[in-house]
Amino acid sequence: MGDFDFVYITQTVGDGLLFGSTYALIGIGFTLIFGAMGKLNMTYAAASLGGAYVGLAAFTFVNAPALVVFLVSALASGIVGFIAYLTCFRFIPIHNHLAALMASIGGLFFIDEIVIHTTDGSPLTFPAMFEDVMFELGPLGIRGDLLFVFAVCIAATAGLLFVLYRSRLGLATRAVSQQDVAARLCGIDVHRTNAVTFVLAGLLGGIAGAMTAAAVGVLSPLITIPLTVKGLIVTVIGGLGSIPGAIVAGLMVGALENVFLYFRGVNERDMYVLLLLFVFLVFRPHGIFGSAISRD
Amino acid sequence: MSKTSISIITLAGVAAATLIAFGQPAFAASERTVKIAGWGAKSGPLRSFGVNSEAVLTAAVKSINDAGGVKLGDGTMVPMEFTYYDSACNADQAISVARKVESQTDALIGIGPTCSGAAAAMYGIFQKTVDDASDTGLQFPILTDTAIRPGLAKKSQWTFRNVPNEITMYDELFSWLRTQYPDAKTIYGGTETDQAHSKLTFAIVIVPLAKKHGFEWVGGGIEGVTGKVRDGYENVLEVSKSSNWLMADTNFSVQARAFKKSGADMMIVSSHPFTTCGMLKEMKRQRINPKVLVGLTSSSSAETLKGCADAAEGMYIPTGFAPITDAAAAVASAAQANGGFADLHSAAAWENAHIIKQVVESMGVMAKPDTLQADRRKVRDGLEALVSVNGLMGEIGRVQDEGESVKPFVFVQAEGGSWEVVHDPR
Repeated sequence: MGDFDFVYITQTVGDGLLFGSTYALIGIGFTLIFGAMGKLNMTYAAASLGGAYVGLAAFTFVNAPALVVFLVSALASGIVGFIAYLTCFRFIPIHNHLAALMASIGGLFFIDEIVIHTTDGSPLTFPAMFEDVMFELGPLGIRGDLLFVFAVCIAATAGLLFVLYRSRLGLATRAVSQQDVAARLCGIDVHRTNAVTFVLAGLLGGIAGAMTAAAVGVLSPLITIPLTVKGLIVTVIGGLGSIPGAIVAGLMVGALENVFLYFRGVNERDMYVLLLLFVFLVFRPHGIFGSAISRD
Repeated sequence: MSKTSISIITLAGVAAATLIAFGQPAFAASERTVKIAGWGAKSGPLRSFGVNSEAVLTAAVKSINDAGGVKLGDGTMVPMEFTYYDSACNADQAISVARKVESQTDALIGIGPTCSGAAAAMYGIFQKTVDDASDTGLQFPILTDTAIRPGLAKKSQWTFRNVPNEITMYDELFSWLRTQYPDAKTIYGGTETDQAHSKLTFAIVIVPLAKKHGFEWVGGGIEGVTGKVRDGYENVLEVSKSSNWLMADTNFSVQARAFKKSGADMMIVSSHPFTTCGMLKEMKRQRINPKVLVGLTSSSSAETLKGCADAAEGMYIPTGFAPITDAAAAVASAAQANGGFADLHSAAAWENAHIIKQVVESMGVMAKPDTLQADRRKVRDGLEALVSVNGLMGEIGRVQDEGESVKPFVFVQAEGGSWEVVHDPR
């Protein structure tokens, strides 16, 4: 167990907050789709990492620079997101939540196995941005790449909020999420709106997957399930459908994970995180920023 | 087309189908083969282990058949063949495959099931003691490759392993490192605690044996560790609580800072390739440069170099396979040609196929449908009786009461993107 060294603990919390940015990015994707459709897209983290693998292929086969790798990852994940919508949601009756959930769980494992069979499950080096940049603040150090992830997280949120509240697409998305029948009567194409939301979330997911892989420096299918679980925890704690909530919860879970690891060890770490989820589910089921969802 | 023509074609089709249906089994029944069942991770995140084993086994069976096959008890030369099943490194699936192979196939022996956790569970369904009528466990011989966690095979007299002995290897490694780095006094390390092999080898084998050779854990706290294998292993896991991780972790900052804070001369990263790479990359970011870096046997593979060759530079690992003999080099090439890699885990599949050939020939196996149970028993007894066999790196000793092996080994170090042999104690 770690001792009470103030500098050390501050560093631990700081590292966790920054790494929590990757959880936040995944959480935003989950929450965006839930906000639009009221459904959980379990393929999301797998699609995000699938996109990162496509980006990695660009790096491996055409030696693409890191920025291109990230863009290719986002694009690929957007396409996978669209396919996930078509296969797991589009043709399932909108009020059959369980069928859509099970279909997307199947999609998760399907995408994961495609990656596993393509790579034989081997860990692969992923190109990093700002890997060697380390800002020294006295005894504290801040990783440049994680700071970049944090900045991307903030920028992505700002972009998403802009799209949701300042564009016709956002208006349509919000209308569909609030009352899909009324939205349809107003001439909004519900399926098109949902598909665009999936692509948008997929683009963000590709960046998240690439950022996560870059932060670790290695990409492996091993991280699909843990990232899915973390994303769901973040989404619930932040409040289903709340983008700012996903960010705050992502950072919070990242920081607390590190604190629990430092004081209680790795074997108890996840137990406390899940306990936190339990506490939220019991005492604040709508999360930090979420509001009770009412749908006709 | 006339009705007559259609009738003739129909009759011809029926006749052909009849010939195929009834002719084939008669032919198959007359063809005797030495059948092996292999199983391991062909799906799931540990798929590379199964792919490698299958690639090596394919090469081994081909080499045996190219050399004329296997001689049965009546002098007939027959080919060896194998089927490889997917058990995904999952205990339930490994058990299912074992039951299926034993009851529904005419395989003489199994090679599998890749992971130590799956092997530990699967061995439990086999008859513990041969000829114990009160024990209804499976009576089917297993010769495992890959699963390396110490001491598993003694669970049943039907289970055997051909895997390196980590206790001997790390004992020799620390003895050698003592001479190479006389100034190194202290050790610190971490492991992935949700992987029994990584965790137990770290706590039971690596740290105690490092202590045995005069390396002290930074900060103490492991008084129960006497230098003898197993002694005080709970203390090792307790003192390393904050420097351990899980197999799918993505953030290693806290653990690496614990390593850095320790300032140890020798650092140990006891994990499989994915987290080994994650941890080593984080250590590099935090500019942690120990005098000596030691890894887990399972990381002496191509996967580690694919994932983090730069960060692994300088890491020492003992291994039971390196392409330093002609035979080993040939197997490495053959495995690559089959889409896999020969490493300390998978190379054993080659040796296993040749061990099975040796046992089948020495025990007079008949490979007939009505001798299946007797043949399986002969194979088991033949494995039990083995004192030593030829391996790719030299002679492999057999620990007869325990079903284990004593394999030759070397020490490798990651250098310039490959594993270089730095010491050969054979």
